[in-house]
Amino acid sequence: MSAVLDILSAVLLLVGTLFTLIGGTGLLRLPDVFTRLHGASITDTLGAGAILLGLALAAGWSLLMGKLLALLLIMALLSPSTAHALARAAIHGIRKPWLDEAQK
Amino acid sequence: MTLTITLIALLVTMAFALIRAIKGPTVYDRILASNALGTKTVLMITVLGFVVGDPELYIDIALMYVLIGFIGTVAVLKVSEFGNLGQPQSHTDPEDP
Amino acid sequence: MLIEVINIVLLALLAVTAIAAVRLHDLFAVAMMFGIYSLLAAVMFVLLDAVDVAFTEAAVGMGISTVLMLGTIGLVGRHERASAHRSLLPLAVVVATGVALIYGTLDMPFFGDPDAPVHQHVAPFYISESPSQTGVPNVVTSILASYRGYDTLGELAVIFTAGVGVLGLLGLRRRKRPGKEGPHDDR
Repeated sequence: MSAVLDILSAVLLLVGTLFTLIGGTGLLRLPDVFTRLHGASITDTLGAGAILLGLALAAGWSLLMGKLLALLLIMALLSPSTAHALARAAIHGIRKPWLDEAQK
Repeated sequence: MTLTITLIALLVTMAFALIRAIKGPTVYDRILASNALGTKTVLMITVLGFVVGDPELYIDIALMYVLIGFIGTVAVLKVSEFGNLGQPQSHTDPEDP
Repeated sequence: MLIEVINIVLLALLAVTAIAAVRLHDLFAVAMMFGIYSLLAAVMFVLLDAVDVAFTEAAVGMGISTVLMLGTIGLVGRHERASAHRSLLPLAVVVATGVALIYGTLDMPFFGDPDAPVHQHVAPFYISESPSQTGVPNVVTSILASYRGYDTLGELAVIFTAGVGVLGLLGLRRRKRPGKEGPHDDR
């Protein structure tokens, strides 16, 4: 049982790591704020979620697991709010999202 | 081993976000990058707790960081959208796009 | 090994952030850079096991000082005025001071050396006596809140006064001005 949990935790950690890297690359490479927001949001939701879940599995039943899940919950609540507020502020300030050449 | 990989990936992502924060070009890119860096820091402190072997101590810092980072980001966004923190005043600095 | 690599990378990122903060001229971006700097510095503190300092750095560096800086930017405008004078002489002074300081560190004991005077002077007394004398499990907290309780109380008074003063400078007088309300989100 514990071996299964260990493997599951490692897989979740690796998945989270992968999504974090993907999101970071997106944050660096994508063309404007709104598209970069996608990249950053992926690191906050999928990346952080998978990593924290993996750590919670590694922690086992304890207060630590509760705190990790609380951290996960807080992040799941706060990072979409932040992303929304940021997108709203950006659409106020910039007013023109980047569009592909074909869409103009 | 997995924790090491995760730590290194988090460091790389932090470096990416830092490059984005330096390059800009708009304010919102910088806010986005610094916010992303904040969540990466929280994750990194949590993972570091497991690497060092004292996760109970580190998770409290991570929890506090998440909450304070949210306050900071909202304050930053308020300034970037309205030009101040809500003081009634006539002067507002217009955003340059 | 891993911790050393992380330390080196974090210090490099810190240096990059500091240089960027100096070279950028958009004050808003500089405030962001300071926020990032305090984040990275906090991870350094955590790595050094200085958890209390990391707490303070989180609350002050990320929260309060960013908000205060942004409030100031809201009052004074966002762009730095170009400096009129050359900064070679100050640079030379700073470099000379830095070199002298680094030369001074050569005489200091190595990091983590158990024979260092700081670990031999009063620290053993507090480490051995503070749990029985105060009943607080954390040594740093027992020193801050028990042995130096009055000191901490005075510090709190000073910080409170400073906070009230800053609030007075930033906003309270402007509230009395009649007329225009703050800009709202009108959508």
